[in-house]
Parts: sequence; C-alpha cells; structure tokens
Amino acid sequence: MIHRSFLVAALLVLGSNVAGAAGKTKPADTPAIPRDPGAVEVRVERARPQKEKHETLRFLKANRDFVRARYDLLRQMAINQHGEAGPIDPRFLSYGEMLAAIQAAGDSVEFVEDARRRQLLLASITELGELEARLDLMDKLLAEQQGRLGVLQADFTGRQQTALVVVVSGTPGSAAVDSIAIGLEDGTRRAVALTAEQREALRTGGVIQVFHGFVEPRVQVVEIALTGVAWPAGSSGFVELDPERDHLTLLRLDLAAVNADTGAAAIAASAWLHDETSGAGD
Amino acid sequence: MDSRRSSRFRVVAALLTAAVLAGSLPAGAGEAPHFAARTGLVVATAAAQSWAVDARLIYVENDADVDSTGTSERWGYLFFSKSLDRARAYSVRNGRIVTAENLEMKFEAPPLTDAWLDSGQALAAAEKEAGLEFRAKQGGELSTMLLVRGVFQDGDPDLTTWAVVYRTASGPSLFVVVDAASGRVRRTWRG
Repeated sequence: MIHRSFLVAALLVLGSNVAGAAGKTKPADTPAIPRDPGAVEVRVERARPQKEKHETLRFLKANRDFVRARYDLLRQMAINQHGEAGPIDPRFLSYGEMLAAIQAAGDSVEFVEDARRRQLLLASITELGELEARLDLMDKLLAEQQGRLGVLQADFTGRQQTALVVVVSGTPGSAAVDSIAIGLEDGTRRAVALTAEQREALRTGGVIQVFHGFVEPRVQVVEIALTGVAWPAGSSGFVELDPERDHLTLLRLDLAAVNADTGAAAIAASAWLHDETSGAGD
Repeated sequence: MDSRRSSRFRVVAALLTAAVLAGSLPAGAGEAPHFAARTGLVVATAAAQSWAVDARLIYVENDADVDSTGTSERWGYLFFSKSLDRARAYSVRNGRIVTAENLEMKFEAPPLTDAWLDSGQALAAAEKEAGLEFRAKQGGELSTMLLVRGVFQDGDPDLTTWAVVYRTASGPSLFVVVDAASGRVRRTWRG
C-alpha cells in the first residue's frame, strides 16, 4: 500500500512525462521534463567512495563464542512455564466496535432519510421541529464518522518509511544501454532490462522508473551499473546519497552524456526530496 | 574621528569576548553529544525496517565510552530478520547512522522486550549495588553496557537484562546484571 502511494507521489512529481516500466511511449514533441526546483546535482564517481569505518558492537564480537554458547545452552533447557497469549492491541479490538458503530450510523441515516421524506409530505410545523432534531442527529453521526476515519488514518497512514525512487531519462549518444542495475549497500540489487518501448520512451524525452524500494536513512553509496554492447562486463558509477528518514528521495539519472568511452561515470544525476505536503495524499 | 575610534573599540571588544568564550568551552566541545541508549533507537529502527520488515531488535551495546550518567557518544543496535536469516547492526552517533553492517556470525537471539529501562537507570542501579564500591576499592572503571535477552540470566532466560561490565587492571572484571524491566540487580560476578 505504501509502495503504491509512493509511486503515485513520484508520478505526480514527474508529471505526465513519466513512461513507466510497462513501456509506455511518449510523443515526439513532448516538452522537456521539468526539474524539481529543490533538486541538487549529485556527482557520479567512477570508483566507489571510501567512507570512514566505525567499529561497532566490540564486546559482542570479542565474546562471540561465549554468547553463542549461551544461546546454544538455552535451546536445550526445559522451561517449566505455561505459554500465555500476549495482550491484543486495544486498537484492533476497537475496530470491531467501530464497524458496528458505522453500520448503526448507516441504519440511522437511512431511517432519518425515510422519516424526512414522510415529514415533507406531512408538512407539519410540529413535525418539522422533530426533523430538525433528527438533522442534528445526522450532524452528530457525521462528526463521529469523521472521528473514526481520523483514528484509522492515524493508525495506517501516519507513519511513512524511508524510500528511494530512481528514474532514468535521456539516451546515450553512441552506445546503447541494454540494462540498468541499481545496487544498495545493504545488498539489495535490482536490474532492469530495457525493452524497445522503454528505449523509445527515453529517446523521445520520457522517463522510466528503474528502482523503487525502501532504503536505510543514512549516508550511503548507490551503485549504478550499465550494460550494453560497449560494456559487456558492465560499467559502474557510484553516487553518494543521504535519504531523509520517513521521506521519499528521488534520484534522476540522465544518460544523455553517456558514451562508449565514459560509461556510467558520465551520468548526470540529481536528487531531491519528495514534498508530501503537495496534496497527493488528499 | 571619535566614531572611528568607537567602532574600532567595539571590534576589539567583540574579538576579546569571542576569545574568552572560546577559551571557556569544554575540551570536548567538538565531540558529538552523549545520549542514552533509547534515544538512538528511533533512527536505528527506521533503518532496520527498511532493511527487513520483520527486523527485531536483539542487542544493544555502547560503541563509545559510557559516562557516569549512562550516556555515550555512540550506541550500536543489532537487529535480526528471520526471513533473511541475518543480523544487521547500526551504529548511531549524533542522531545519524554512521555505520551499518551485516553481522558476520550466526546470532539468532530472541527479540528484546519493548519496555526496557534506559541506560541511565540501569547504570544507576548497577552503581548502587556494586559498581561504586568496585570502582573505589579495585580501581575499576565502567567499560561496557549491553542489553540482551537470555544470555546472563540462567534462572529466567526470557528476561531482558542490562549487563554492566566494569574492568580493572588488578583482576577479573565485574559483571552486574540488571533486570531491564524493573531495574533490580539480578546478579553480580567477577569473571
């Protein structure tokens, strides 16, 4: 669900110039893709940048045999305890009650609507007073419904996760790109083989999405690997990104300057943060 | 002329003030701020959730010296993912992850309970029970604080505990195991 909202957001940012991975083509007279005003140029390095290494969990590593032996021992121990179910999150219990309340509210609204029709026929001043009271009830029910929606929204859409979308534009002048792979430091690697439709989309000014996934919110190096006839073993470039926690970072790779000699190092890259306040969620 | 002298005086005064202020700063002013273990958990958890949706916190340890209030400049957090069958560590400093690495050892520890006392409270309990005396009589010093479940507590292996380790040059280290839920010292030993 979150992934889908990210995609929608990305598409909104990129406007109508995005040709998706499905291979939709763009007309030849498509105007240039507008760059996000907050985008910053990102340098693509030929070699992976080296980062300062900080030692972590020194005690655990120094005493790994002891700690593992303790866990091995634990697995063999019989524990005289009865298993007990953990407490159920009270929010989940309340959802059933909320559904019942929603159903009851729906019935009440229907009842009031029937009554309202009858009231119109009777056109009695006294009964109009009753109608007013019932309209107040409808207002109250609507307010309660809004409150319940607020609870659900807070529970299910309140927390965003850190994510990265990588899109590609432009077409190399003298070298064809067969596939593009994106590699993250945590070992995630996704390769997209370009279809004829996608190549055409790039040639005519379109944009294709080659990566969309969660990333760790920290400074990290992202590898971009191109393969093609000019680079049978692949040509890699490296960009350093610092995705902001709980936000969507977009990285755009422009292949226009790439040629057989320069390879991936000639990619022009820019990155920006997706502004979630732009109203996509509403 | 007077106004020029006055402005020159103001510049000199400003420079002198700046020099005095710089001199009065503590020696470690350039260091990252110290924080309690739980403070860094938010960013570490966010990273772990990006790495694996089923990531669970299984271990916490100080990555830099712990001070007398139980805070450190850097803490390490270890998460385990059952689906990936891997453990990944994050070292947090100044609200940022400075190191992320997979643990190159099999370490399928049970997840820590959510409600654990912070490092400051755990250290206070350890100090009161044994640490203070050990430091005074044995010339010991605090070396490590680690939060784990089931390693140091034979009687109740389900318990999440802080282990506070004091070292001394004159003999074996002192281990103080503190119940991470109640703050009660469970056991102490030299080893």
